[in-house]
Amino acid sequence: MSGLDPIALQVVAGGLRAGCEEMGAVLVRSAHSANIKERRDCSTALFDPAGEMVMQAEHIPVHLGAMPAAVAAVRDEDHAPDVAWILNDPYAGGTHLPDITVVTPVFAGDELLGFAASRAHHADVGGRVPGSMPADSTTLEEEGVVIAPRVLDDDALEELAGQMRQPAQRRADLRAQLAANRTGARRLVELAERLGVEPLREATAAVLDYAERRTRACLAELEDGEREAVDVLEAADGDLELRLRATVDGDALELDFEGSAEQHEGNLNCPLAVTVSACLFAVRVLTDPDIPASAGAHRPLTVRAPDGSLLNARSPAAVAAGNVETSSRVADLVLGAFGRALGQGTMNNVTLGTEDWTYYETLGGGQGACPEADGPSGVHVAMSNTLNTPVEALELEFPLRVVEYAVRRDSGGAGAHRGGDGVVRELEALEDVTFSLLTERRRHAPRGADGGADGASGRNVVAGDEVGSKASGTLRAGERLRIETPGGGGQGEP
Amino acid sequence: MLLGVDVGGTFTDAALVTGGRLHTAKAPTTPRDQSEGVMAAVASVLDDAGAAAGDVEHVAHGMTVATNALLEGKVARTALVATAGFTDLVELGRQARRELYRLCAAWPAPLVPVERRFGAAERTGPDGVLTELDELEELVGAVAGCEPEAVAVCLLHAYAHPRHERAIGDALRERLGDEVHVSLSHEVVGTFREFERAATTEVDAALSPLLAAYLRRLVDRARDEGLPAPTIMQSSGGLASLEEAAGHAALTVLSGPAGGAAAAALLSERCGEPDLLCFDMGGTSCDVCVVEGGAVRETAQREVGGRPQALPMVDIHTVGAGGGSIAWRDGGGALRVGPHSAGAEPGPACYGRGGNEPTVTDANLVLGHLDPGAPLAGDVELDAEAAHAAVGELADALGLERDDCAAGIVRVANNEMVRALRVMTVERGVDPRDFALLAFGGAGPLHAAAIADELGMRRLLVPRASGVLSALGLAAADRRRDRARTVLLHGGALTSEALAVEEGDAAYDVRYRGQSFELTIRDVEPDPGAVREVFEALHEERYGYRDPDGEIEVVTIRERRTEPGPDVEFEAQERGDVRGPTVVGLPEATLVVPEGWAGSTDETGTLVLERQG
Repeated sequence: MSGLDPIALQVVAGGLRAGCEEMGAVLVRSAHSANIKERRDCSTALFDPAGEMVMQAEHIPVHLGAMPAAVAAVRDEDHAPDVAWILNDPYAGGTHLPDITVVTPVFAGDELLGFAASRAHHADVGGRVPGSMPADSTTLEEEGVVIAPRVLDDDALEELAGQMRQPAQRRADLRAQLAANRTGARRLVELAERLGVEPLREATAAVLDYAERRTRACLAELEDGEREAVDVLEAADGDLELRLRATVDGDALELDFEGSAEQHEGNLNCPLAVTVSACLFAVRVLTDPDIPASAGAHRPLTVRAPDGSLLNARSPAAVAAGNVETSSRVADLVLGAFGRALGQGTMNNVTLGTEDWTYYETLGGGQGACPEADGPSGVHVAMSNTLNTPVEALELEFPLRVVEYAVRRDSGGAGAHRGGDGVVRELEALEDVTFSLLTERRRHAPRGADGGADGASGRNVVAGDEVGSKASGTLRAGERLRIETPGGGGQGEP
Repeated sequence: MLLGVDVGGTFTDAALVTGGRLHTAKAPTTPRDQSEGVMAAVASVLDDAGAAAGDVEHVAHGMTVATNALLEGKVARTALVATAGFTDLVELGRQARRELYRLCAAWPAPLVPVERRFGAAERTGPDGVLTELDELEELVGAVAGCEPEAVAVCLLHAYAHPRHERAIGDALRERLGDEVHVSLSHEVVGTFREFERAATTEVDAALSPLLAAYLRRLVDRARDEGLPAPTIMQSSGGLASLEEAAGHAALTVLSGPAGGAAAAALLSERCGEPDLLCFDMGGTSCDVCVVEGGAVRETAQREVGGRPQALPMVDIHTVGAGGGSIAWRDGGGALRVGPHSAGAEPGPACYGRGGNEPTVTDANLVLGHLDPGAPLAGDVELDAEAAHAAVGELADALGLERDDCAAGIVRVANNEMVRALRVMTVERGVDPRDFALLAFGGAGPLHAAAIADELGMRRLLVPRASGVLSALGLAAADRRRDRARTVLLHGGALTSEALAVEEGDAAYDVRYRGQSFELTIRDVEPDPGAVREVFEALHEERYGYRDPDGEIEVVTIRERRTEPGPDVEFEAQERGDVRGPTVVGLPEATLVVPEGWAGSTDETGTLVLERQG
């Protein structure tokens, strides 16, 4: 056992965790957009001076492994107190454009203690369509403003917000991110004052080692050897195949996506950081979720994806759906390789709007059954865990009416443990609006495991006509959009 | 003569105040029918005071009947009526899974199963009725057909336009008679956001028949003894009449812990300490609340047992760290404490009842914070050897000396409580160093000073009546009625007339238009300019900025009518000085005063300690 004694270890880990949670609370409570406040589509974390993630607050799993890439992108800059950095470039520390990351260096005197970072999904970052989540983009530029790492001062804030829709809201949300980082910085400085700078460094190293030890202890319990999984994504012009070979070797795990589809013309591409995030999510599910969320837990894991493939795309491939949809499939591959029934496998991204307003929502569905329990119904299953927007709040704010919001009965797969049911959500437009649907599992159902039945595929219906998993167009006043989300797979013979 | 009776997990406490003297008694809690334990504690305290039941002018009661029924799912057979197309609202919740990485962790099942949910043919929108209510007779017939004991009605936008809810309520009452309880969402809650309103209404309907039956039994027993009918503690920290509580059980789901909050408010007033961070640590858990400017902080949105309750409640945060919390070594070799508790049976190793896992209480005994010769509450004799053995075994597993391990257990437990206190302060934008720490409950005073040090707090209050403080708080609590309605006022509609309330004082939930989260402001004139100023000042204090161009929206008006509680006189106590390091024995509690802390007893018997240097 290195460095700290077992007690100090818990105390430091607790202090870091409290700091991250407080950052998250500040961000959620001071942002303006429903996306951050109601849906809590954001994450906060603290890093050491080397850019290793020391602790992350539990918000959105898709940010889990991707935050370190953002800090790595600015780590080697010349840092000064109170000079924060901003980025969203998927090929320089980002994931997809709406996720904007703000990184603030933390100093004790003139010594760099580490970084406080916050990431939030902004409701709009410019580009071709309101909401910046086009269903059919083919280049990054169509998806919005690409922010390479740069200093975030008042001028930059004005300039960037000015390129996006609802600039006042963007400005407020970015300020909320800065406020969250200041809070994290303050907590880190307080810890350094109490422990001393060098002891804090040792303590954070010990926290990382501790997470690594616990992860290795869990991996060592898995049977050694290779497991394989194959699954598909539903691109507009056909299926894209993804492949995984998972190798457990003692207390280490290698996840190799060799053989997966090349990057494509559409926007299901992922930067490697997103692929890594999804793998970390699945590994956390398969090991012990109580292990502190830090870079230490990532050390026993190797993730490989061929350069230029869908899972390790090259600039300037479009990526809007990679973060929200492909990431779910990557998690499915890992969970499936280890014998788990699959959940709905999509976030069912729905964007509606005009030039004056944008409304974005994601919908829950069926969770895959677990070896010991039924899968819950109507929940986010993997990389997302955002809240819905209440029907009453939605109708107060937008010219939309909800016609039905219900559990989609019997859509979960049968089994010794049943898969969860999907949901039905039907909206009526009260004026002409554009819509954009980024969904998956419309052609291929979520699979059951061990003899459990598959869940039901999802359905998208526009003005009475069924459309594909990626669709966009105009919904006229009085027309309806009906989404039926997929059910989860069952586990074991019914 | 004033009487407060508080039902806890293990003991039912009674506090009788007569002519400035405080009498206390404890009786075992009787889970099957809490009124038995209540009457036993009452008999015991009357006996102690040499008083007769007829002398008691006022009885206030806090209990866990509604809470326990909710947590155990032992509720009335309930039906739900909702707008057609939306009968699954409670099941769908907010669509977040309960735990991020335990994929099958489930939210508690709705109290109403699918077969007892009925859609009403109607639609109301933000601006009023869109589709008139139809097929009412068929609806009521279908509800009657499932033979419910209670019915919850929650229609979309009923917070502003309750016409259809009222019509359905009238028809249900006419058809089902007085025996079946009917809860209407606009009456129970009155605010927007349909899931939270529906979930609260469902709880109200499902618990009310049961709570009413309990209160009837209690009143019968009290009447037989010659006691007046009790008033009932609500989750808000104020008392309700028996009829109000029996009619709306959702008001009482935190009745038990709210007694502790009422006690904290009482202490705050008597000791002249307007700002207190309070922690009440018992055997299995620790409740934290905040007193600001003499008033207990409240919230209008929290969960009880995984179900959101959109009613005013004292803002209490509970963590699973108590005297009985078990210490263990995890897979990474770190020392952990809780959330598992040894409870009262078998209890900590030192209880000598067969428990052999080390608990926080065992660690305190090893460290000499507890006197092995003195019995704990409930006359438990302490077995020091068993405590040493249990802690020693864990110490070996961790490669530590036994005393270091014991100190570590206490430190890690303190860490959990510090985290809870941080949630209640820094996470809500408040600096704990501006507060004094009030510690009570059987285990609170043991840990108080260490926790104050950890948070940088310099002032610590420990009341003499720590052990039964909640019962005392009940006896002195205010009577209170709350009513909230979502109004969504902005622009020209935001006028003084629209902001005014008929009676009592008003609080307003306010936001910048476009925000989805509101700040509640109090003590403000019903004037748009004043509301804006107070809101913006609070927004700046909490979130660091104002938005001078932003439009203000008053989302909800919260009306509160209060009748002050009876005046409780405290018995004058002898003053005495304390200087650490020392251990002070209190009735039913022990105070640890470390080096660097010193102070004295004030006239209320409260030990007021200050950090030296």
